[in-house]
Amino acid sequence: MNEHVIYQIPLYLDNELQGDEQRLFEAHINACASCWAALEYERRLILAIHQARPLYSTPEGLREKIEQILQNHQPISKRFSSRTRRVFVAIVVVLGLILAWFIARPTHIPLVRPSEFALVAVDTHQRYTRNQLPLEVISSSPEEISTWFAGKLPFNLKLPNYPEDLNQSKPYEIVGARLIGFKQDYAAHVVYRLHNRPISLVVTSETIAQPAGGEKIPWQGLLFHFDVINGWKVLTWSDKGLTYALVSDFEEHGQASCVVCHSGGQDQHKFEGLKFR
Amino acid sequence: MIGQGEDKEGQKSIEQAILEYVEALYGYAMSLARNPVEAEDLVQETYLRAIKGARRSMPTGDLKAWLFTILRNIWINQRRRAQGSELLLGIDIEGLESESEWTAKNQQRPDTIFEQGLLRENIRIALESLPEAFREVIVLRCMEGFSYSQIAEILGCPVGTVMSRINRARAELRRRLNK
Repeated sequence: MNEHVIYQIPLYLDNELQGDEQRLFEAHINACASCWAALEYERRLILAIHQARPLYSTPEGLREKIEQILQNHQPISKRFSSRTRRVFVAIVVVLGLILAWFIARPTHIPLVRPSEFALVAVDTHQRYTRNQLPLEVISSSPEEISTWFAGKLPFNLKLPNYPEDLNQSKPYEIVGARLIGFKQDYAAHVVYRLHNRPISLVVTSETIAQPAGGEKIPWQGLLFHFDVINGWKVLTWSDKGLTYALVSDFEEHGQASCVVCHSGGQDQHKFEGLKFR
Repeated sequence: MIGQGEDKEGQKSIEQAILEYVEALYGYAMSLARNPVEAEDLVQETYLRAIKGARRSMPTGDLKAWLFTILRNIWINQRRRAQGSELLLGIDIEGLESESEWTAKNQQRPDTIFEQGLLRENIRIALESLPEAFREVIVLRCMEGFSYSQIAEILGCPVGTVMSRINRARAELRRRLNK
């Protein structure tokens, strides 16, 4: 038995031997019974491993989830090209209705496109609610989540606790958090629940995202931008170097979701200003 | 090669093309994470990043290898974040015998493992018991059919390293199947 040939057996079977090396190998194998036996053994082992595929059954529904992800991220031009004529006509009708709504709409909502940050925040919230974006840390403790984010974000994030006054009961619960990608960096995604309805708080650095678009609402020295995107209410604003987006399906401007960072008693009146005026 | 998404020319769109690899990616994710929930998340995140990446710039080269590389990078980054430090896929060499030791011991009875029955379950158990770095090269080479250079690209290491790792991984797998 030739040690060098034995070492070459896997390379030969993996088609990694070429030219003279391959010819010399084959010449030896044809003349040496023990090396030939070793080659056959290895060949059968490799075949058996290959035939054992797949080792794991793919979970039911995974393919559908992936298809959904791909569909949600298809380029707009391609979406149109793959639609049937009937769907296209339906879209034209819907667009016509939207146009009619804009003509007759209340005048206090300006025609300004939502910011990219607001769109990402809504997309993140939507994917979370569809179980397409699992949380990386599950905890009801704001301290624990803040600690988990430490060093992972390009900024410091400290989530406030509630209640600040120990006599107040907590009206919401923190579910957990994860990192999300935004403009070549990470942003924080924190999930809360209030009255069993999910709220997403997405935070990034003000240097990466500035609130823009939607309806502008100056309040308490801050400038809020409000949008309704895919039916979700999103408030974005900047404060002390960070930019926030709060996404929920709460009424009016979704201001009820503000409670996740502001304790009830002394702060509730502040949110009144975010109602439709 | 990667399709350009031109349905009208009968080519597969990139979305259709990459969908072919859901099962293969899940198998690879399982070989890394060994946890169905984590593996499923890894696959979903892979597709999300792949489609976003493809929209920015069309990838060149082998589509399957590209997806496997994305999945592995996500896995490595998640592990790195979880551990808070540089991650090295460790190969625990203690207790592993060398190729020549194995050859000397097993050469006289080449059919032993087949007599015992090389059932899928035996292979799965033996594979799962391998160190992670060995497990993944076996999956990439023997199950997914990647070439050594493609595996080197996926793992981000030289071809020589891949070669020796595959050899050692197979030797260790044989040893465990013969136990």
